[in-house]
Amino acid sequence: MALPLFLRSIEESSFSTWLRETESPFGFYFVLLFHTFGLALLVGANALVDLRLLGFSPSIPLAPLKRFFRIMWIGFGINATTGVLLLISYPTKAVTNPVFYAKLIMIGFAIWILTKLQKEVFADTTATEADMMARGASLAKWSLALWVGAISAGRLLAYTFKHILYPF
Amino acid sequence: MNLAHLHLLLNHFPIIGTVVGVGLFLFSLAGKNDDLKRASLIIFAVMALLSLPTFFSGVGAEGAIVELPGVSNVLIDRHEGAAILALFFMEITGALSLAGLWQSHKVSRPARWNVASVLLFSLITVGLMARVGTTGGDVRHPEIRASADPAANEGTLGSIVQAFEPSPAKFTKLMTADKYWWAFMMDMHFIGLIMIIGAVGALDLRMLGFAKALPIASVHRLVPWALAGFAINVTTGVLAFIGMPAFYTYDIAFWIKIFAVLLLGLNAAAFYLTDTFKVVEHMGPGEDAPPSAKFIAASSLVLWLGVITLGRYIQLYQSTISTR
Repeated sequence: MALPLFLRSIEESSFSTWLRETESPFGFYFVLLFHTFGLALLVGANALVDLRLLGFSPSIPLAPLKRFFRIMWIGFGINATTGVLLLISYPTKAVTNPVFYAKLIMIGFAIWILTKLQKEVFADTTATEADMMARGASLAKWSLALWVGAISAGRLLAYTFKHILYPF
Repeated sequence: MNLAHLHLLLNHFPIIGTVVGVGLFLFSLAGKNDDLKRASLIIFAVMALLSLPTFFSGVGAEGAIVELPGVSNVLIDRHEGAAILALFFMEITGALSLAGLWQSHKVSRPARWNVASVLLFSLITVGLMARVGTTGGDVRHPEIRASADPAANEGTLGSIVQAFEPSPAKFTKLMTADKYWWAFMMDMHFIGLIMIIGAVGALDLRMLGFAKALPIASVHRLVPWALAGFAINVTTGVLAFIGMPAFYTYDIAFWIKIFAVLLLGLNAAAFYLTDTFKVVEHMGPGEDAPPSAKFIAASSLVLWLGVITLGRYIQLYQSTISTR
């Protein structure tokens, strides 16, 4: 089955070529670096909240952890942007790898759970900690599992690709 | 300064430092002195940290002399195998020491099981480090060898220990035999970094004034997660290095990353061994940390982001250090 030609057009564009082939340290590796920063912020903060909801470090008050959602969204913004740039650099490599789709699906569900945590657990400022933990425990478990899955899938992309560039 | 020189400079720490640590540890037990015990645990942790660049620079030292006449590959391999075994015990001693220090912080002294295991592992480490030193000396000092024959001759004790020392070449092959094993190690390295950034990041941000409603003491309780993440990353890092030693050794980004990790050790010392931690640890919600704490928190964040950056750039800066 032939691969769609638009993948080749993206790779042949000057921006995509520059990202991949530039000698400047601000090319592909810079984008990849900020993708790592973004995931450190997003998953670091989310994991902190998840683990607290599951009862670890109970001396940390739950309500103030609401502020960490801003950090999570900043991380997500960085990763959505850098993710698109990475996709522009190596579109064939990503689109022809089933692991990439698994990653996106897991991220999708993890972000959905993040919004549920924000709206159902942390939005009600009058709720007690016991209430919050009751509402959030199952969400927290899924969140952790999905993020570990998403990160693993992301890491595996470097080792499971079939094509690095559009095959001629 | 080249890698061979660095290796000769650094090797003093794991070999002599551990002897000093054990000496102080034994005196602390005899004198029932908790302060001295804590000091020796700090020494073990610092020696464990310094053992890492010592080990890594060994490959560069080997590269500098392996082609020279009179240098035996057999002796070099024996030294490297001894070093791998000793490093394993050194890092366990370091991890146990950090656990003991954490316990000292919570209940004023380490638990009995911790004292016993630190004693056991540190004594084994001292013995193994002595062997690393001797086998290393054998490589370039024929005057200390038991016989004139450059082959590796073992005494009784040496033969017993030899059985546990891995063959460096086989270990390297094992790490790179399966790409999914490598992917798993890199994956765990990222999980470790998330544990570190999540815990240390939260503490640093709180000290800098973010989410002031959190009491600092509670956020500080996250530190064991960071220590666990660091342990995962030291393990996966060392295994990765053994898997591709030349790749990492001749890469400037790798060395600056290791240097940044050493600076983080200094940062931790500045935090815990000065007044700063005492002032900050009981701060409740709403309280603002003093400038010294903010400086330590900011430099911690910058250094960890630096570690991530340098780690990511290792691939781009391959072969940036000359092999000679």
